[in-house]
Amino acid sequence: MSIYLRNVFRFILLVLIQVLLLNKIPLRWWSNPGGLPPYTPYIYPLFILLLPLSTPVPFLLIVSFTMGITIDAFMDTGGMHAAACVLMAFFRTNVLTLLLPKRIAEYQNMSPNTKSMGWTPFMTYAAILLALHHVFFYIIEIWSFHSIGYMLMKILISLLTSLVFVALYSLFFSSSIGTVYYDK
Amino acid sequence: MRNFILLIRRFWNIILFLILEAVSFSMISKTRNMQGMDIVSSSNAVVGYVYKKQNDVVYYFQLRRLNDSLLNENTRLRNQLVQYTGADTFRDMIAHIPVTIKDTTRRDSSGVALAPTGAVKVIRYADYRYIPARVINNSISGDRINYITINRGTADGIRKEMAVVTGNGIVGRINNVSQHLATVVSVLSDRKVSTKLNDGTSGFFTIWNPGSPEYVVTEKVPLYVKVKRGDSVFTTGYSFFPENVLIGTVTKVDTIKATNAKNLKVRLSTNFRNLQYVYVVEDKISSERKELEAKNKQN
Repeated sequence: MSIYLRNVFRFILLVLIQVLLLNKIPLRWWSNPGGLPPYTPYIYPLFILLLPLSTPVPFLLIVSFTMGITIDAFMDTGGMHAAACVLMAFFRTNVLTLLLPKRIAEYQNMSPNTKSMGWTPFMTYAAILLALHHVFFYIIEIWSFHSIGYMLMKILISLLTSLVFVALYSLFFSSSIGTVYYDK
Repeated sequence: MRNFILLIRRFWNIILFLILEAVSFSMISKTRNMQGMDIVSSSNAVVGYVYKKQNDVVYYFQLRRLNDSLLNENTRLRNQLVQYTGADTFRDMIAHIPVTIKDTTRRDSSGVALAPTGAVKVIRYADYRYIPARVINNSISGDRINYITINRGTADGIRKEMAVVTGNGIVGRINNVSQHLATVVSVLSDRKVSTKLNDGTSGFFTIWNPGSPEYVVTEKVPLYVKVKRGDSVFTTGYSFFPENVLIGTVTKVDTIKATNAKNLKVRLSTNFRNLQYVYVVEDKISSERKELEAKNKQN
């Protein structure tokens, strides 16, 4: 399957998982035991995490913006997800250069995933960028520093559950995301 | 000029990043400032289609719970009907009030007695029409605003700013409308609801504190107003909600010494976790009322 087609499919699949499954989690009574604030895990940033390493940065930014706007349309959040996504995409290259042993230009036809990077580096990479996304998103959403504790708790539980879902997705679709693209 | 182009080429990534962030933030501020002016919202056709399809699938599995809730509502309405049979005026209908004049021939201890003239004057109170709608998307995890998407739009007579209620409580107000869909800003948002207590004292506002979809807070109730746990809290007719719709019951009374007032923690009677059917309330004289109130502001 072509690299573009594969990513388009992943885009649609991740939006559907996010909107139809994960957004319904806070509605269930078991999702916030003991007075935890209702939170939503976000899996759609995984699309930006899994884009090929050779993606040019302007293209990466525009694609992330499109992803964010799509989620915004579904969740009525105006442009909050778009803003967080663009920030995340902007810092993606920096985080990757920190984590990868060789220079990025040397990784042709690969995308950052559990197979090419290994589980620990990939989850670190996911954790850093997702943390960036969540912190930025919740700061825009809550937009007040009256209760820092509440905000931190919300960021933390949302981040942890997001990471669980990212790991689950990587397990389920390991053969799909581990593909090396030769048909570029 | 050449240097300028080189500069742009060098910092192209950062410039594009800043442009996209600026676009996002302008969109966010638009949704924050102007109600119902969202550029991207779930009342658009594609998003609505996805939510409708999903709802068609999930709908079947909720039928049992839905039956129960409708049965409860039926019982409640029947009980209300029993109360009203025999009374000749309904609050939400045209009332016929006999016209009286001062009868100077007769006097009693209270002063001038009133005598009926035989004529009847007609007072038209707010006239409401209820439009049922199905909830096709719902959110409770937002911290400032939570939106609900319903499957009724302008084609069914829904317009912006209409109130949305359920059988046993308040839900919110209409924000964006398209032809077959509408989004509702739910009560779980930073919008105030004009409130009155069981005994009729009003002038307070109820607002949601983020963190729980079950509770709202009625703020700044003066100390002399007697409230106890278990009291009911209702809407007033001052805001867009119809009068006397139940908001919830008081579960905790907090006295705040600094402001010399009480805050009431109110448990919402609407269960936002499984909202399935709502009623959009069309207030038939609301436009007339708004015009009149706008005139006051001009003067």
